[in-house]
Amino acid sequence: MIEVAISTLPAAPLHTLEIWSNAQAVAKRFQEAAAFALPPMGQSAGNAGVRLIRFEPTVWLVEGDWTGLEPVLGDDGALTAIGGGIVRIALSGTGWRRLLMEGGVFDAENIAFGPGCSAATIIDHVNVRLHVTDEKQCIAYVPSSFAHDLIAFWKAAASLA
Amino acid sequence: MTSPLRPRSGAALNFTFDGKQMQACEGDTLAAALLANGIRLVGRSFKYHRPRGIMTAGVEEPNALVTIGEGGRAEPNTRATDVFVYEGLVARSQNRWPSLNLDLGAVFGLLSKALPAGFYYKTFFGPAKLWLVYEWFIRRAAGLGNAPREADPDRYSQRSAFCDVLVVGGGPSGLQAAVDGVDGVDAGKRVILVEQDAELGGSLLRDDHDLGPDWIGSMAARIRGAGGTILTRTTASGYWEHDLVTLVERIAEPGQVPTHGTAQRLWHVRAGKVILATGCIERPIAFSHNDRPGVMLSQAARTYVRRFGVLPGKRVVIATNNDDAYATAQTLSDAGAIIVAILDARSSLSPVASEAQGRFTVHTEAAPKAANGSKARLKSVTASVSGIEVSFDADLLAVSGGFTPVTHLHMQAGGKLDFSDEAQAFVAADCRQNVETVGSAANPPPALPLKVYGDPKTSFVDFQNDVTIADIDLAWAEGYRSVEHLKRYTTLGMATDQGKTSNMTALARLAERRNITIPDAGLTTFRPPYTPVTMGALAGRDHRDAGAHVRRVPLWDEHKAANAIWQPAGYWMRPRAFPRNSEDLAASARREAQTVRRAVGMTDVSTLAKFEVSGPDAARFLEMICATSVAKLAIGRGRYTFMLRDDGLAFDDGTVWRLEENRFLLTSSTGGADRMATHISYVRQVLHPELRVSAVNVQEHYAGIAIAGPLAKAALWAMIGTEPPRHMSLARATVTGVPVLLLGASYSGERAFEIYVEATQSGPVWTDCAAAVAERGGCTYGLEAMEILRIEKGHVVVGGELDGRLSPHDLGLAGMLNKAGGYVGEAGLSRPALSSPGRLQLVGLESLDGPIPEGAMLTKERISAAHGHVTAAAYRVMSGDPIALALLADGRSRMGEELYASSPTRNQFVRVRVTAPHFYDHAGERYRD
Repeated sequence: MIEVAISTLPAAPLHTLEIWSNAQAVAKRFQEAAAFALPPMGQSAGNAGVRLIRFEPTVWLVEGDWTGLEPVLGDDGALTAIGGGIVRIALSGTGWRRLLMEGGVFDAENIAFGPGCSAATIIDHVNVRLHVTDEKQCIAYVPSSFAHDLIAFWKAAASLA
Repeated sequence: MTSPLRPRSGAALNFTFDGKQMQACEGDTLAAALLANGIRLVGRSFKYHRPRGIMTAGVEEPNALVTIGEGGRAEPNTRATDVFVYEGLVARSQNRWPSLNLDLGAVFGLLSKALPAGFYYKTFFGPAKLWLVYEWFIRRAAGLGNAPREADPDRYSQRSAFCDVLVVGGGPSGLQAAVDGVDGVDAGKRVILVEQDAELGGSLLRDDHDLGPDWIGSMAARIRGAGGTILTRTTASGYWEHDLVTLVERIAEPGQVPTHGTAQRLWHVRAGKVILATGCIERPIAFSHNDRPGVMLSQAARTYVRRFGVLPGKRVVIATNNDDAYATAQTLSDAGAIIVAILDARSSLSPVASEAQGRFTVHTEAAPKAANGSKARLKSVTASVSGIEVSFDADLLAVSGGFTPVTHLHMQAGGKLDFSDEAQAFVAADCRQNVETVGSAANPPPALPLKVYGDPKTSFVDFQNDVTIADIDLAWAEGYRSVEHLKRYTTLGMATDQGKTSNMTALARLAERRNITIPDAGLTTFRPPYTPVTMGALAGRDHRDAGAHVRRVPLWDEHKAANAIWQPAGYWMRPRAFPRNSEDLAASARREAQTVRRAVGMTDVSTLAKFEVSGPDAARFLEMICATSVAKLAIGRGRYTFMLRDDGLAFDDGTVWRLEENRFLLTSSTGGADRMATHISYVRQVLHPELRVSAVNVQEHYAGIAIAGPLAKAALWAMIGTEPPRHMSLARATVTGVPVLLLGASYSGERAFEIYVEATQSGPVWTDCAAAVAERGGCTYGLEAMEILRIEKGHVVVGGELDGRLSPHDLGLAGMLNKAGGYVGEAGLSRPALSSPGRLQLVGLESLDGPIPEGAMLTKERISAAHGHVTAAAYRVMSGDPIALALLADGRSRMGEELYASSPTRNQFVRVRVTAPHFYDHAGERYRD
């Protein structure tokens, strides 16, 4: 039995933010507009309204209020809505690290993967993005089509481990 | 068979062997329990059905194979030495009929002279049809246990782990290495220690040692206390690249009902360093009838006495070429056995042997020639002592032919081996991966090369596959010089034990025959798994679903409520039809297709691949992906497109839409979605990383609803309150307050629209659409009706007509190619082969006889050379006349020609006439308002 609660979070606005040119200038504009810096690879940053999680070298996941970002990007990047295809699942409790090792390929048990960290990985053949919100909770961003089965997989894994 | 050493405290465990009720002690292996109950005959050999007993005390056991458990939980070919008895264990002997004691298959043993190695290569000649007879016979004669017919009721888990140090082997060296990792010389590392046995200790469980009785426990406590992980009953089954090691953890014993539902767990461990403390396997000795019950490896005999308190014999002869067997003599003697003689192959006494000579009768230059007795009992041992034949009465012959280090994982890791002349064994050498071998696996005890004194025909080398010394000699005599050829000709080392006890003996014999050294004779390759692995462990938790999750469409609940028949489409489950009342699939699909032609229908197209492409270079990027022109597309307009591989052949098709000046929507097929995503990523990341463009996969962001039919426009107009877009135009609107994107596009041949809506809000839109459709006499339709409609219209589908072999010209699409070029596949298209005569081309077929068999060959006569094949068959929606799409050599120049759609395997031969691949509204007038 793994000590973890698995719950689906309400749908939220999610976008990809991709920067293709003038990255330094965009970062500067972003910091001026948002009052925090674009997070580095594998990290997140945000405020009460919006959080950015960097999963790829040039791509961030934007969670929340995205309305101020288009002027910041100008012709150097683009925002694309993806929230309809992603289910956010909260894994809460001391056992979330252990649970992610079930069918996983990512070292979630490494203590360095702590609050604010993110990763894109595979869980039981499903592409999943992870974001650690605090020591006892990790949010998984799961493709909607797989969400039902992956939740069932996690619940079974938690109870049978 | 029992001894005073055997503990009797605690509750006894009940188990059965071949239906006979027996008792075991807690911690017994099945082998130990059988010996304690006086059972010596445990199984029958694979080929000759020779009686076999228990030879070892570990996973290398080649003889004592049994079936454990019942029903779907039954596990055949389980080593009795590698299963721990639990209450209610059911074990059955195998490869015998009618009983273990009276096995009629033993007649093969009497015929053994006629069945030497490779006899089947020389026997089963003749007409091919005779193979059906041979096969029937061979399959029934083939031995070992039967796989269960029932489904496995248990669950399996797969888990990953990462560590700095993985130690394989929980003996003294392994325990020390693990402690060094967590709180010793290399303190602070993440350490995992795995041991295939249920208990830690390895050789310490068998041997007298100086470390004290509590040493094992204290070492384990130090490892766990410092955060290390210890996994017992866990076998490192494979060593892969990048120091990835797979482990198989037995949570429940074979056949046992798992306490928490999970029977086994497959671990994928990625280690910074791997330490192999895997020990050695003792080698048997070749002599006549060395497979008889009562002949046991020396260390195994010691294990049964010291660990399990079972004395496997009372009058014991020990045969050895090394010092280790003297410890066995002392242990058995201490337990009350009479040591009749020690046969030492060496010419002079070692210090250990000299020390033992006062207590035991030790013969030098001595070796066994034959084990004599009945099928279940050893009675005497014939030996050669300084060239003189001597006989000893004995009921146990404990043999030690030296020690073979367990280098399997080292070799799987890509490691090299050196040969130790002193130990007469291969030991681990350099390896490109970060692996180190320690303990006795790195330093095996010295042992003398052995001669074979017995009859080669009954001196067994590979006990599981009944390979004898004579078989090896025969292979050599017939010209098999390479050890790899020897292995395949004789089947040596190819049984479930993978030659753990046989390889070195066989290599020594081959080297002797070739008059070369053992290293020059070579060694076969060790491959995973180290011991047999249950298929369920490889499949994981979803072994009942072929290891794959089902992908659900956003409108899953709506379709389920509408009584959909589901169809797998890749990982997706999609509605195939929506039957009403007592309709079957065919009736439902025909009604749905006719409704689309007559009125209006709606269907779920959410699974289509969709990519949003934005940025100043978006049009330029898409003109590389698509073979048609894109840049001149006006805002709000769309067009059909197709995509080519580098070789110029088409691999997918779809539509491209200009949403804004610098933002496009590209759709393509469901089945090719992942491939298209990979292709787009390749072009973006590899071919043109300099482009100012973002290409995002929005397949799941949007749910898609197609509405088609002569009344589709009216239905949609009613939903959005304004005129819908014309064909190949787009518009934005709201349906029940939900923003939607409307595309004027048709796959059915009717005026049609695709409605895209953010998937989380698709339910209300579907419901509103269903009401508008129903109001106009329409219905929902599924994949089956969609297939009929698209065949009649002549649209191609990926996997059917788009089979990866056709050029745009073959498909009749050459006129749509972007004349400015620049697309992927343009260079490939210029290859002369793509315009040579005889290429398959897309055509239609009309039946002259009846339904056209899908997949049938197109031939001039009923049985003659194929000119092409039928890719998809259906019927005209309204009339029911059979039609089909096909690929036919030079098809477009053969209009009107009559051929056969020939399917000999189904005995179907239908006359067809070649037509254009459009059976409905060739001019496209029904798209127009």
